[in-house]
Amino acid sequence: MDAVLLQGIANGLSLGLCYALIAIGFTLIFGVLNAVNFAHSEVYMLGAFAGLVIIQAFAPPFMAVVFLVAAVGAFLGFGLERIAFRPLRRARDEASLKSRALREATLMSSLAVGILVRELAELRFGGDMQPIPSGAMLNTPIAVGPVILTTGDFYIFGMAAAMLLLLQFLLYRTKIGLSIRALSDDLIGALYVGINTDRVIVWTFMIGSSFGALAGLMVGLYYGTIFPYMGFAPTLKAFIAMLMGGLNNIPGAVLCALLIGLSESLAPEIMPTRWVDLIAYVFLLVTLIFFPAGIFGRKAERV
Amino acid sequence: MTALEVRDLHLPIGGQEILKGVNVTVAADGIVCILGANGVGKTTLMRTIGGVYRGAQGTVRVDGVDITNLPSHEIVRAGVSQAPEGRHIFGSMTVEENLRIGAISRPPGELRESIDRVCGLFPILRERLRQKGGSLSGGEQQMLCIGRALMARPKLLMLDEPSLGLAPMVVRTIFGLLQDIRGSGTAILLVEQNASAALRIADYAYVMEGGRVSFEGAPEALKADERIVAAYLGGQSQRHRAPDDDARA
Repeated sequence: MDAVLLQGIANGLSLGLCYALIAIGFTLIFGVLNAVNFAHSEVYMLGAFAGLVIIQAFAPPFMAVVFLVAAVGAFLGFGLERIAFRPLRRARDEASLKSRALREATLMSSLAVGILVRELAELRFGGDMQPIPSGAMLNTPIAVGPVILTTGDFYIFGMAAAMLLLLQFLLYRTKIGLSIRALSDDLIGALYVGINTDRVIVWTFMIGSSFGALAGLMVGLYYGTIFPYMGFAPTLKAFIAMLMGGLNNIPGAVLCALLIGLSESLAPEIMPTRWVDLIAYVFLLVTLIFFPAGIFGRKAERV
Repeated sequence: MTALEVRDLHLPIGGQEILKGVNVTVAADGIVCILGANGVGKTTLMRTIGGVYRGAQGTVRVDGVDITNLPSHEIVRAGVSQAPEGRHIFGSMTVEENLRIGAISRPPGELRESIDRVCGLFPILRERLRQKGGSLSGGEQQMLCIGRALMARPKLLMLDEPSLGLAPMVVRTIFGLLQDIRGSGTAILLVEQNASAALRIADYAYVMEGGRVSFEGAPEALKADERIVAAYLGGQSQRHRAPDDDARA
């Protein structure tokens, strides 16, 4: 394999892992509530801004920034659930918990909260790219054979691997993870066996949002692009990865996110760069037409 | 001692009163069944007791403790479990995980012993511990559903149509086990369309009509009432024509 190809694969994996971290948050929340959280892109954006503010104020070691941003993300998830989701979930019977009306209402409320937050961020920080302190950028080049990686690539690989392991541990080894999986399997069943569903939903938002916020931090410091609208494009691609993976399927979403990242990174070899953003939409169309249940979806799901 | 005491329970849903003053009592070691046609409020009564539907007037006491309108997770904690209509087991999770979730309100130290107890009652579940819940047969899923409810070590177990869709043999097995469960100190409240099977194990029964209890008494009293026999037990003559009627009813 030639160096250009290897370089493309390395870059694509970094990009794909960032999409994957965003997609995990989407998928967790979708799994539990059957609703799309359209404010997820703003959690991602605020994660990047929180990291930037923390770095500008204290310049703490990188790992400290990571933990603080994860905490900010969890806090945002907590608030978001309280503001945009819980008030619409007052009735607890089967019909209303699964109703289309509830899904559509939370879709609108989360979209509204997202728009509000984005505009507030623009008021406070302006719409332009933020200057990032030079020491904070994760772009020190490191040559690995013929391929030039950066510190950011290593951080993203390491962080994504750690977080996927952590997620696996959470979902399969802890009580709260067991409850999250029960809720996404059968919400009504979870209610019947005595799971405190409201509490589990809050936890899901906190976990999913801290993943989203960390993805924002990594992308912001890796590509140097922190601005109020930064969440839109990557979150859309993560959303497509979730759809491709089969909606309620975390490994599927991660694989599809990697696929999108790799394709976008390798595509400029064979097509004009400005077409690259179309790739995800082509994937989306192909999925919706030929795999309506997602590439890894087991059964037909409601979209 | 009473495991469950429901007094004058009313439940409005969307401006319509579904329960119109229900009184039901279950003794600490009792099996009580509720009969009635579709849509008279039997399932609603269970869901209201279990805290799935809230906003009721009246009182529900378990072991003397008022649990009216508490959220469902606190009601499970207070000692009421249910095997709901439609089972709602977690199909993508293993049998063991299903059981572990059933014990989510209990201290983790009890887990092994509880699983052993439930698998003692339903030996087939022990063989299936590592299988996905969704891969079980209908009867096994019903056993898992009951086993999951027992993992919370309830004082009262409520079952909604446990015989639905099951072969007569399996129904007989499950109803036999309900008597063992009662013997181990858990009272049972049973909603059942299969009236004759239910009356065989019950020691008291209620008949509901239009959101109210219209008749109550020991099984013998129900079997002696011509109107009830005609409406819920198929009547004498019909039974001769369809011998397995009580399994399907």
